[in-house]
Amino acid sequence: MNPNEDIESERIETTEQRSIIFRLPVSMICGGIIVLVWLIGAIAAPLISDYDPIAIDFLKILQPPSSSNLFGTDDLGRDMFTRVLYAARIDIWMGVAGVFAPMIIGIFFGLVAGYMGGIIDKILMRLVDITLAFPFFVLVLVIVAMLGPGLVNFIIALAFVAWVPYARLIRADVQIIKKSEYIQAAQTLGFSPVYIMLRHVLPNALSPIIVYAVTDAVLVILLGASLGFLGLGVQPPTPEWGVMIANGQSYISTAWWISFFPGVATVSMGLGLALIGNGLSSLRLGSD
Amino acid sequence: MTTGTQNSGTSLVSVENLSVDFHMENQKVQAVRGVSFELIRGEILGVVGESGSGKSVMCRSILGLLPGTASASGKVLYEGRDLSNLSDDEWRTIRGKQASMIFQNPSSHLDPLMTAGTHVAEPLRYHEGASASDARTTAIDLLHTVGIADPEHRVDAFPHELSGGMKQRVMIASAIACKPKFLIADEPTTALDVTVQARILALLKDLNQQQNLTIIFVSHDLGVISEICDRVLVMKDGKVVEQGTTQDIIFHPKDPYTQLLINSQPSIRARLRQQSLGEIEPVQTITAKPVMGIKNLAVEFPGKNAALFGLLGGISAPPVKALGNISMDIYKGEVIGIVGESGSGKSTLARVITRLQNPTAGSVTYEGQNIADFSGSDLINYHREVQMAFQNPFESLNPRFTIRQTIAEPLIVHNLIPRDQVETRTSELMKLVEIPEKLSSRRPRQLSGGQCQRVGIARALAMEPKVLIADEITSALDVTIQAQILDLLEHIREKENLTIIYISHDLAVVRMICSRVAVFRDGHLIEIGDVGDVLNNPKEEYTRTLIASAPRFSTEQAF
Amino acid sequence: MHFLQVIFQRLLYLIPVLIGISIITFVLMQLTPGDPIRLLVGQRATPEVIAAVRAHYGLDLPAYQQYFVYMSNTLQGDLGNSIPYQRPVTELILSFLPPTVFLIVYVICITIPTTVFLAILSAKNEGKLLDQIINQFTVLGLTIPVFWLGIMMARLFGVELGWFPVTGYGKDFIGHLHHLFLPAISTSIWLVPVLLRNLRVAIIEQMKSDYVTASQSKGLPERYIFSHHILKNSILPTLNLFGVMVTYLIGGSIVVETVYAVPGVGKLIINSILGRDYFVVQGITLFYAMATISVTLIVDLLSALIDPRVEL
Repeated sequence: MNPNEDIESERIETTEQRSIIFRLPVSMICGGIIVLVWLIGAIAAPLISDYDPIAIDFLKILQPPSSSNLFGTDDLGRDMFTRVLYAARIDIWMGVAGVFAPMIIGIFFGLVAGYMGGIIDKILMRLVDITLAFPFFVLVLVIVAMLGPGLVNFIIALAFVAWVPYARLIRADVQIIKKSEYIQAAQTLGFSPVYIMLRHVLPNALSPIIVYAVTDAVLVILLGASLGFLGLGVQPPTPEWGVMIANGQSYISTAWWISFFPGVATVSMGLGLALIGNGLSSLRLGSD
Repeated sequence: MTTGTQNSGTSLVSVENLSVDFHMENQKVQAVRGVSFELIRGEILGVVGESGSGKSVMCRSILGLLPGTASASGKVLYEGRDLSNLSDDEWRTIRGKQASMIFQNPSSHLDPLMTAGTHVAEPLRYHEGASASDARTTAIDLLHTVGIADPEHRVDAFPHELSGGMKQRVMIASAIACKPKFLIADEPTTALDVTVQARILALLKDLNQQQNLTIIFVSHDLGVISEICDRVLVMKDGKVVEQGTTQDIIFHPKDPYTQLLINSQPSIRARLRQQSLGEIEPVQTITAKPVMGIKNLAVEFPGKNAALFGLLGGISAPPVKALGNISMDIYKGEVIGIVGESGSGKSTLARVITRLQNPTAGSVTYEGQNIADFSGSDLINYHREVQMAFQNPFESLNPRFTIRQTIAEPLIVHNLIPRDQVETRTSELMKLVEIPEKLSSRRPRQLSGGQCQRVGIARALAMEPKVLIADEITSALDVTIQAQILDLLEHIREKENLTIIYISHDLAVVRMICSRVAVFRDGHLIEIGDVGDVLNNPKEEYTRTLIASAPRFSTEQAF
Repeated sequence: MHFLQVIFQRLLYLIPVLIGISIITFVLMQLTPGDPIRLLVGQRATPEVIAAVRAHYGLDLPAYQQYFVYMSNTLQGDLGNSIPYQRPVTELILSFLPPTVFLIVYVICITIPTTVFLAILSAKNEGKLLDQIINQFTVLGLTIPVFWLGIMMARLFGVELGWFPVTGYGKDFIGHLHHLFLPAISTSIWLVPVLLRNLRVAIIEQMKSDYVTASQSKGLPERYIFSHHILKNSILPTLNLFGVMVTYLIGGSIVVETVYAVPGVGKLIINSILGRDYFVVQGITLFYAMATISVTLIVDLLSALIDPRVEL
C-alpha cells in the first residue's frame, strides 16, 4: 500500500483517540445530578420522611416552614415536604411513560412511512395533518375529558396525540438516510426491507429522537402538572405537583408555601432534564 | 497551453513564509506551512494539490477570508503593501475592488433570494457608488461579457433558475465588476460538467488576455492546470514542494511527489500501459453470447404534482425521461465504460440493472432471463451475481458498522458460508483489497477515502459476483489514490474473472481501463464501440465535443 | 395566475384534513361517557321525559345520521345549543372570544420583538458570555410551569405590590391592557425561549453560509451583509416560527385564562368539559381546529409569496 495512506490512517487514529476522552459539558452534569437527586428522593421517600403524605391532621393546618415541617403544612395539615417527595414519583412516572409510549408509536409509524413511502406515507401524513390541526393541549384535554381524569388516562391521551412529532422527526430523517449510498448498497446486496429498516436505518435515525425525547419529558411533566392544576389529571388525595399548586392558589396570600414548593420542584426537575437534553444535542453536533 | 503570457515581470503579490494554523478543541492543525511565492502581473498562476494540501486555505488567507479559528503568520505584500493585520475597513478597499475571489460551489455561494443582476450590481453600488439604474445597465453588460445569453432577461433571474455554468458566470461577473487587478479562483470548475468546464476555462483565459486580469487558479486537476496556467505551484501537506513554469513542472518534475502526481494521471498511465502491453485488445468474445442484454430500456419519472394537475385539468409538469430506448449488450469478461455528464442517465441505468429501479419500458436480461421476473431466491441469486460499488466512499458504508461487520454482513445474512468460516473469509477479502488487518475494527470516519472505497469493493466481492458495476468509484478520490484503486480493480478483475461496467464522467480513466465504451447524453445512447474507435475517431458530434472538452494532459504535446 | 393555482392547490389538500377534523370532533364527543340529558333534566325525571328531551336534541338517532345532521348544520353555521346555557353555541363562542383574541395579540406583541432582538443578539455573540447567559435564561424560562408562574406573579404583583389586577378582563382598552398584562407576561416568559432557540439556530446557520463568505470577498461591509443577506434569509424560518407560536397560543391560552379568571374561550371550554356541555365542547374544538388550520394556511401562502424557490 502507498506509504501515504499508511500515514493518513495513523493520523486519523491518534485524532480519534484524543477525541474519545471527550468532556461532558458541566451544565449536563449538573442536570444529571438534579435528576438523580429527584430519582433517589422519589424512590426512597418512605425512608427519608416519617410522615404519611395523605394523613390529615387538623391541628397542624397551614403551618409555615419549620424544623419539623421543612416545607410547611397544607390546608389539611399534611406535611408538604413528604407530599412533594411522593409527588415526585407520579411526575417522574408521567415523564417516563408519557415519553416512551408516544415515542414507540411515533418511531414505528415514522419509520415505516418514511422508508416505504407510497400510499402508506400519504395516509400517515394526512393523519399527521389532522392531528396537528388541533391545538395539542385541547386535544389532550378533550380525550382526558372523554376518558375521565387520572394518570393512566393521561398517558393514553398522550399516546393518541403526542406520537406525531416523533413520527415527523423520524420520517424526515429516514427519508434522508434512505437516499444514502449505504442503504442503496444494502438494497443491492439483496437484504429484505424489514432487515434494512431495523438494522441500518433505525439505529442511524435514532439520535435526534433521543435528544427530542429528553426535552419532551420536560413538556410532558409540565402538561401533566397543568392538567392536575385544572382538575383533570391525577386526582386528590394522591399528591402531584400540579394538583398541589392548584390547591395552594386560594391560600396564596396566607400560606404561599403550599403552591411555592411544588412549583420549585417542577422547575428544578424540568431544569435538570433540559440541561441533559441541551448537553446531548451539543454532543451530537460535536461528533458529526 | 497558454500563449503570449504578458509577463511584464513585475510582482503583483508577494507571499513570504505564510503559515496558517487552525485552533480546534484541544488541537492545533497546521494547514499551511511556510509558503513563499510571487504572483507576476498578467499571469495565470496555478496551485495544484490533493485534499489536505492547504491550497484553498492559502488562497483565502491572501484575502484574509479565514474563519475565526484560524491564525496566520508571515507576510503577504500586495503592490508593496502589507496585507497582514488589516482592519475591516482597510480590507473593504481591497476586496471586490482590487482583488476578488470565485468559489467552487456556485449554488451555495449565491444568495437564493437575490437576482443575478443584484448580485453583480452589489460591488458596483458599494465600491463605486453607482446608482441603481446605472448599476443595472453595467450588470447587463457584464453578464454579456461573461457569456450569458439574453442578459436583459437573465439579469432578473434567481439562482435556482440558472444552470451550474450560468451561476458560475454570474459569480465571475460579480467578481470582475469593479475591474480588480487579480482574481483568485478556488476550484471554480470542479463541480461542473466537463463541457461546461471547458467553456468557463475559455472565459477565464479570455479575461486574462483581453482585460489583463491576473489569476490565481486553484485545482486538484493537473490536466486543467496544464490547460490554462503559465506557472504552477505544487502543494502537499501545507507546503509548496515545487514551483515553476507549467512546462518545467510537467516535463521535468523534480520533486518525487510531483512525479507521483503526474504518473497518477490516467492519460499517462494509459500510455504507459499501452507501451508495455501493446494496444488494448477488444474482447475476443464478441462472437459469444452477451452475459447481459439491454433492450429498449426506458425509465420515466412523473412530473411534479402530476396527479394534482391532472385533477385540475391544467398542464402538468412534463415527466422526466431519465432513460429513453436504450439497447446495448454486455459481454462476459469485458470492461465496458459508460460515460456521460450529469443528467445522462448513467446512474439510472446502474439502478435498473441492480433492480433498485423498475423500468417504464423495455427489459434487461441476464444470461437469457428477464431480470424483472426474478423473485425470492432467484432474486437473491441475481444480486449475488451482479454487484455494485458506489461513488462516495464514506457514505456508502454504514457509519456505525466496523469494516469487519460491513464486509461480513452479506456472508452472514445470506448464509453464504458456514458461520465459523465467516471470520476467515472476511480476512481473506480484506487481504484481497489490501486493507491491513489492524484496521478491521475501525469505523468509516476513522479511515481515509481510499480505504473506505476498498471496503466497499470488498463488500461487493463478498457476494462472489460475476458482474461488478463501478459507479463513479474514483470520482471522489484524490488522483494518486484513484490510481491505486484502479490498479486494485484491474488486479481483482483478473483474479476473479469479473465483467466490469465502469461508469464515469472521466474519459481519461475510461481510456485507460476499458475495452469498450458507451457514450450517454440526456438519457440516450449516443455512441458505443471499442475504446480506440470511439475516442480516436468519434462519429457523433456530442462525442467529439466531450473529447475536446476534456482537459488535455500530455507530456508529448508540442508548444 | 400562478399564485391562484398555489392557493387552489393548498385548499385542495385541506379537504381531507377538514373532513378528518369534523369526524374526529364528532367521534370524540360521541365517546364521552356521561349523559348530558340527565344533567339537564335532573335525577327525578321519568323515562318519557328523558326520551322526549333526547329526541328534541336529536340525540336518539344512530351515530352516522347524527354526523350528517351535525355536518350540514355546521356548514350552515349552526353548532347546536348549549344545554345548560340554553344559547346557541356559535353565539356563546363569539361572546367569549374577545378576551382571548386580545390576549393572543397582546402576547404576540410582547413576544415577537423580544424574541427577534434576543435571537440576533445571541447569534451575533455566539459562544460568548452574552450568548451563554441568554441561553441559561432560555432553559429556565422553558421549565417554569405557566400556571405556577401565574400564581406567583399574581401574588407578587397583584396582591403584595398591587400593581396589576389578578382577575378578569377590565372595561375599556386601557383596562384590558392592565388586566391582561400578567397573563400575557406569564405566557411570554414560556414562549420566548421556545422560539428563541429555533430562531437563533436559523440565524447562525445563515451566518455560516457560503454566500456570506462570497459577499465578504466582494468587500461588502458586515452590517450590510447582516441586514441585506442574513436577515432576509432568516425571514422564512421566522414566519414558520410565528405560525407555530400562534397555533400554540390558541390552545395554550386555556391554562392562563383559568389561572387569571379571564372570561375567554379557554375558560369556557374548561367549564364546559367539567359541566359535560356536549355541544359547546364540540363546537369549541372545531373552532380551535379551524383557527389553527387558517393560521397554518396563511403562513404557508405567505412563505410561497416570499420565497422565489417555491414551486408554482
